[in-house]
Amino acid sequence: MTNDWEEIYQRAKEKWEALEASPIHIRIGTPTCGRAAGALDTLKEFREKLEKEGIQGQITEVGCMGLCFAEPLVIISKPEIGLPPICYRNVTYQEVKRLVDGFILGDDPCLELALGTLDLTEDAAPYIPEMLRFEIEERLVLRNCGYIDPQDIDHYIARGGYLSLRKALGMSPEQIIDEVSKAGLRGRGGAGFPTGRKWDLCRSTKNEMKYIICNADEGDPGAFMDRVVLESDPHSMIEGMIIAAYAVGAYEGFIYTRMEYPLVLDRLEQALMQAREYGLLGEDIFGSGFSFDIETVAGAGAFVCGEETAMIASIEGRRGMPRPRPPYPAEYGLNGEPTVVDNVKTLALVARIMGTGAKGFRSIGTPSSPGTAVFALAGRIEQIGLVEVPMGTTLRQVIFDVGGGVPEGRELKAIQIGGPAGGCVGKEALDLPVDFDSFKAAGAIMGSGGMIVLDENNCMVETARFFLDFLAREECGKCIMGRLGIKQLSLILEEIVRGNGREEDLNLLEEISKDLAEGALCNLGRTAPNPILTTLRYFRDEYEAHIKEKRCPALVCKDLIAYYILPERCERGCEHCVLTCPTEAIVSDEKTRTKRIQQDKCVKCGTCLEICPPEYNAVIKVSPPDRIKELEAKIGG
Amino acid sequence: MDFSIDGKKVKAKKGEKILWAALDAGIEIPHLCAIREAENAWGACRLCFVEIEGRGVVTSCTEPVGEGMMVHTDTERVQRLRKRAMELILADHPMECKTCPKRGDCELLKWMKFLKVKVPKNLRPFPKERLEPDESHPLFVLDPNKCILCGKCIWVCKEKIRADVLDFAYRGYNMRISTFLGKPIAQSPCIGCGECVKVCPVGALYFKDKEEIKEV
Amino acid sequence: MLDEEGEVFKEVFSYFPARRRYLIRLLQTVQQKLGYLSEDAMKEVALHLGISEAETFGVATFYNQFRFVPLGKHHIVVCMGTACHTMGGQLVLDGFERELDVKVGGITPDHEYSLERVGCIGCCTKAPVVLINNIIHPKMTPYKVAEVFAGLRDKGSKSSEEHQE
Repeated sequence: MTNDWEEIYQRAKEKWEALEASPIHIRIGTPTCGRAAGALDTLKEFREKLEKEGIQGQITEVGCMGLCFAEPLVIISKPEIGLPPICYRNVTYQEVKRLVDGFILGDDPCLELALGTLDLTEDAAPYIPEMLRFEIEERLVLRNCGYIDPQDIDHYIARGGYLSLRKALGMSPEQIIDEVSKAGLRGRGGAGFPTGRKWDLCRSTKNEMKYIICNADEGDPGAFMDRVVLESDPHSMIEGMIIAAYAVGAYEGFIYTRMEYPLVLDRLEQALMQAREYGLLGEDIFGSGFSFDIETVAGAGAFVCGEETAMIASIEGRRGMPRPRPPYPAEYGLNGEPTVVDNVKTLALVARIMGTGAKGFRSIGTPSSPGTAVFALAGRIEQIGLVEVPMGTTLRQVIFDVGGGVPEGRELKAIQIGGPAGGCVGKEALDLPVDFDSFKAAGAIMGSGGMIVLDENNCMVETARFFLDFLAREECGKCIMGRLGIKQLSLILEEIVRGNGREEDLNLLEEISKDLAEGALCNLGRTAPNPILTTLRYFRDEYEAHIKEKRCPALVCKDLIAYYILPERCERGCEHCVLTCPTEAIVSDEKTRTKRIQQDKCVKCGTCLEICPPEYNAVIKVSPPDRIKELEAKIGG
Repeated sequence: MDFSIDGKKVKAKKGEKILWAALDAGIEIPHLCAIREAENAWGACRLCFVEIEGRGVVTSCTEPVGEGMMVHTDTERVQRLRKRAMELILADHPMECKTCPKRGDCELLKWMKFLKVKVPKNLRPFPKERLEPDESHPLFVLDPNKCILCGKCIWVCKEKIRADVLDFAYRGYNMRISTFLGKPIAQSPCIGCGECVKVCPVGALYFKDKEEIKEV
Repeated sequence: MLDEEGEVFKEVFSYFPARRRYLIRLLQTVQQKLGYLSEDAMKEVALHLGISEAETFGVATFYNQFRFVPLGKHHIVVCMGTACHTMGGQLVLDGFERELDVKVGGITPDHEYSLERVGCIGCCTKAPVVLINNIIHPKMTPYKVAEVFAGLRDKGSKSSEEHQE
């Protein structure tokens, strides 16, 4: 196969250049998030329109650029017009006609629909790489995402893909481990354990059989980094995985992903097949004598399988229950053999490190956390999406400069970092630099990269309850601390949000949390109390309001709020709320025609608040519910 | 290998777990799920905590002894964690000791007394669903309500006897020991060896007639 | 066992050698073909792999994906991930429970609808989202629940009309 490599590379390059030079080239992002925004309809519309008009144009399905707020995202290149490729935002199928008629058939670049251009231009459209967000961002993992066709290995190769592997196979495994250690690479799965040390541990065992597992079981609710990487650029991870396998001496690899990500599984299977065709997987890779292949495993819906020993049990076809560590998987893993488990982004970074060298990698980030961090920004934030910033960037920069801050002028209240096992930090943590150690000091963990922004409309007690409820549903049931401890914590929180909190509950929460953190069998159990400990640390007053005043300051907890229609704002002629209330709880006063909510029938779904026309804005929430009586008494008087 | 527990010198084979070395030396450490013959320690009951100087708190069923190791069984952290685990078990366990067939040799009760722990009053009641005891087998009864999920019955049934009658089913708080589809044991491949009943530390598995034990 | 099921098992078992690590994948494949895991399905899989029936049941009940009764004709999955929860997912779930008059995890008596919750489908940018027959409905609200549901009912009656024709 080695002799063919030059040929493969040349062919890929020519293919890519031809694509770049084609008179019309349309890139449409069709990852899962794009699809949710209607990208497949956009794609279909473009195809039909081009065919109908007889236009010779190339359409490429690409992955996600990370600008999820702007999806469906379309990039159109039309070199003859003298403009660089233009990136269009929110292109639903209805906009396709405008773009085809205006830009493709005509000369109007439709800049009103554009997000920006991919190259510098004197024209009106902003240059995307100059946007503040891209000045802060540094894309190592996401380099190709949204730009290449993830279903075509040639695109990856044309952009320099698999050259790192080629280089690595010319080195000794020790040299590779040494390079990764020198780069200071730490596992991106959350704990930040030094990757080189883990590999070395595995390599130095005497066993014949060793395994490598890519942990793509992105179970943290609110996290979608790995999904995007695997849907947009699967080969970057696969290349890193082959390098890792060679370094530790593994002949078999598994990618464990989630059944909730069907597109990831499809794209992975396709990518693996293409890599096999090119001899990048299988026997004697690049003529090095090293043989390795990868199998995908789809989880069956169990968050706990993100824990490495549970994942191993699951790959073995067992119940995904963690077992005590030590022994660590690097010594005793799959089928009892030494096994390295690495996160998707860690492996993608390995390919980059082998390309640029340890020094190049170390030049980004901080001394103790070199490189970049990928975050999935979601929740109450303007530019929802994926970001990749150098370690050491502050949270403030990530949320305000990259993410555009909280929408509608509302105020940021907290940032939830690191999934259910992470924590909520308050505004005072905004100047915290993003890196493994700073986060730990603030009581949160880096986690795999989910970052949810919460604003004044989010209740922190309810947020903690949500996480503990999630963990209680998802923990395996094996150990007493995990099964009964997490359940107990979630029961206490449930009672507090219902208004049945007791003053001693806060102490009890803290004590049980402390014992779980020390005494649970696995990391799920040990980190489960984090949402409680961090919210208690930063938002104790909210707990106290719920317990002592039976009041939810954020007006979220159903049992502690009531909906009320302000008669002075209610419009006589409007009956929106009456007609849409699912329980017919709203009645119209016969004389005044103002509307009133019958509290005993109200299920607090919020439809009336949502439907009330903004010019009236007559529906409000109050807490505690008894405040309704005061308001009504005022009217009465 | 020489090491010490609470200042007392103890000898043990290399690779031996602290729990067994301690018990052999006559030092009591509470435990409900540990099986000495099992290849891998289960580590689920969280009662056998000990503290190793310079290392911190570990479960003694999973931790092998080390030369010169100084183990303590009575530190504040050890006591606190053991107590927490025991309280959680008790809060979830139907405390029907007076009518319990295991009365007299219940290990849960023994360790509860050892740890001087009472049924906690400050915890919220667990939403325990009452399940019907399986009385289908002529020799013994399976009462899932009393089960603490130590897994010993499953280990003997699966690994030792290889009768494959019982396994864990469901997950999280709903986890329980179960036959295939929860069918009556009489309809399962049970050979009636009674080994599972003998290892059950609580009243979840008991012989219908105490005399039967001798016959089996 | 129905003959039809027997054919499915034969076909599925021909892809997967009898190795225990294929247990989950076999259950997934069988479920995909039959829509759920029947008693026979679990027995046959256990037999094929030489694993006990009790353990097969234990593994199947551990994972969220497996179900032991067939789904409704329309399968509604409400995402309850962090982003969806933050953006009001619970209200959406409540809305479906109300509209369908079943609790989450249940099926309507006419077998038309089944309702489930899921931890996170990674579509956090469009939160809160609902999957109906595997199609993503973004940015849901309690009000939209009624709309979506009315659409389903229309489609349902239309397709059954078409069927009659």
